[in-house]
Amino acid sequence: MSRPRSFRQSMAWLHTWSGLVVGWVLFAIFVTGTASYYRTEISHWMRPELSETAADPVAAATRAGTFLQKTMPDAAAWSIRLPSAESPAVTVYWWRSFAGPFHHALLDPATGERASVRDTHGGNFLYRFHYELNLPPIWGRWIVSACAMNLLIALISGIVTHRRIFADFFTFRRARSAQRGWLDAHNVMGVLALPFHLMIVYTGLVTLSSMLMPWAVKTAYHGDILRYYADAGILVAGRPPVGRPGQALPLGEIVSRAVAVMGETPELMVVSHPGDAAATATVYFEEPPGLAHLHPQIAYDAATGAELGRVGEAGAATRTGAVMVGLHEAHFAAAPLRLLFFLCGLMGAAAVATGLVLWTVARVPKKGAPEGLGLRFVRILNLGTIAGLPAGLAAYFLANRLLPAGLDARADREVGAFFAVWMLAALASALYPRPLAWPIALAVPGFAFLAIPGVDALTVGEFRFIGFDIAMALLGLLLLLAARLAGRRVLARNPAQSRLHGTAEA
Amino acid sequence: MTLPALVLSLLLAFAGFAALALSLDRHHRAVFRTPVPRGRIGSLRAAGWSGLGLSFAAAIASAGWSFGPVQWIGSLTGAALAVVALIAYRPRSLRAAALAALPLAALTLPLALMR
Repeated sequence: MSRPRSFRQSMAWLHTWSGLVVGWVLFAIFVTGTASYYRTEISHWMRPELSETAADPVAAATRAGTFLQKTMPDAAAWSIRLPSAESPAVTVYWWRSFAGPFHHALLDPATGERASVRDTHGGNFLYRFHYELNLPPIWGRWIVSACAMNLLIALISGIVTHRRIFADFFTFRRARSAQRGWLDAHNVMGVLALPFHLMIVYTGLVTLSSMLMPWAVKTAYHGDILRYYADAGILVAGRPPVGRPGQALPLGEIVSRAVAVMGETPELMVVSHPGDAAATATVYFEEPPGLAHLHPQIAYDAATGAELGRVGEAGAATRTGAVMVGLHEAHFAAAPLRLLFFLCGLMGAAAVATGLVLWTVARVPKKGAPEGLGLRFVRILNLGTIAGLPAGLAAYFLANRLLPAGLDARADREVGAFFAVWMLAALASALYPRPLAWPIALAVPGFAFLAIPGVDALTVGEFRFIGFDIAMALLGLLLLLAARLAGRRVLARNPAQSRLHGTAEA
Repeated sequence: MTLPALVLSLLLAFAGFAALALSLDRHHRAVFRTPVPRGRIGSLRAAGWSGLGLSFAAAIASAGWSFGPVQWIGSLTGAALAVVALIAYRPRSLRAAALAALPLAALTLPLALMR
């Protein structure tokens, strides 16, 4: 690689290499993050035993409190996600210390006992993977942040590098040389969804900003992050336990009070120091309509039910941050707009994938020359990531339907299936004969996704999942289409065709 | 923000982008086999930017100043992708599709502005 000369050339160099080194991780982040727009739907599908009728939240809260009292009366805190039409079961967490472990159960709102439902991480696994990569949280988040920062660099250097953003805005010359086609595809995917790409990477970094840049809070609050949250209007200030046992009200009573004040059911309740005389029950409401991701909160004395405080008007900085997190998560987006967000996410994944492939296509050795080690390495990683990850995803969904319900550590085995199939697909694609590698590697997940509706029909077969099943079939068809297009390139490599390509203007 | 409002934004942006694409020789050639007639460039560009502007107006009118821009940018991406796909795979149908988008937009207008 020669020394870059002009500014634009050095930006092109930066774009190429900042994109390449993190491209594979970015692809996985984009795909799982995009899937997270449908986290709730995925979780529903993966827990078919749960009905979709919303239960009475007041009774459900009381029952959840009874369950937690039995399970860990001396916990540091309990968290109870109340049932809603969106998520009909009661999700409870409890823990002794913030260092973990965090225990977790899904309760039947009607009985307050563990729901008889298959053990699964559902859509949450994909959601957490997109910012933690299934690694220990701090490690995963730092790696994802580094990749996101690289993507921001790649985006900006890419804009500088692209000579003709407006003149080539609609240009996709698929019938020209392979390199031209891939470059155009990369540009189209990058430019048409550029506002989304810039927004998603920047706001993504903002969601992790307190980890990336902790110094202000560390200096001003001496590490007391909770006090900072209270001052910033993010959380209601907590109060320390007094060390005397106390008798809490039934939790449903707190919920009724909250409903009476706000006119809507809270979505979450957190009880700190349950059992203590100073136990606090804080209820969180869904964010009001608007871009900001700020949940109204009210804290109650758990023993008397007296209101202790609530989150008031947040300051400008908090609101700005909340709008960014809101934009990233798109909770405000109703189904049609969410579909556009999903499409933009797919375009992000496609921009990364086409960029990775373009790197190899631009470096194909002359006929007869051997393929260098670096090129081979990148090509195999490309196959293993771009075609391997979808295979893993399909395996995750198939495992949900095919693993026996009572299996030990079932949820982790689903995740195991995801990684095992991903790795297997990646290894296999390294062994396929070179010209057929892409068509085969893409057809494998294509057929796997197409199998999901069939397997669902045979194992669960409920009509309400038809939307999810159709989406899976469409993804399968999309992958098969990609396999076909990749195969056509192979067939086109005959002399007559290449003469045609040769005469085409570059 | 309702489905008709988003569809309206999408249709107007689609018609606008189609006109803008047709104001460029390369795409005009793909659709009509001829370069853009010189006198046509200005009117195509004006029509194109008006389409995008109307799409913005529709998004703001139906979704307000906080969601409106988000919705508009989303529809720009979707509409532009549709134009690119048509030019690449069905160039001859671009004109008909853009012309069909306008009456459809007029049809969705009352639904979109109902709140």
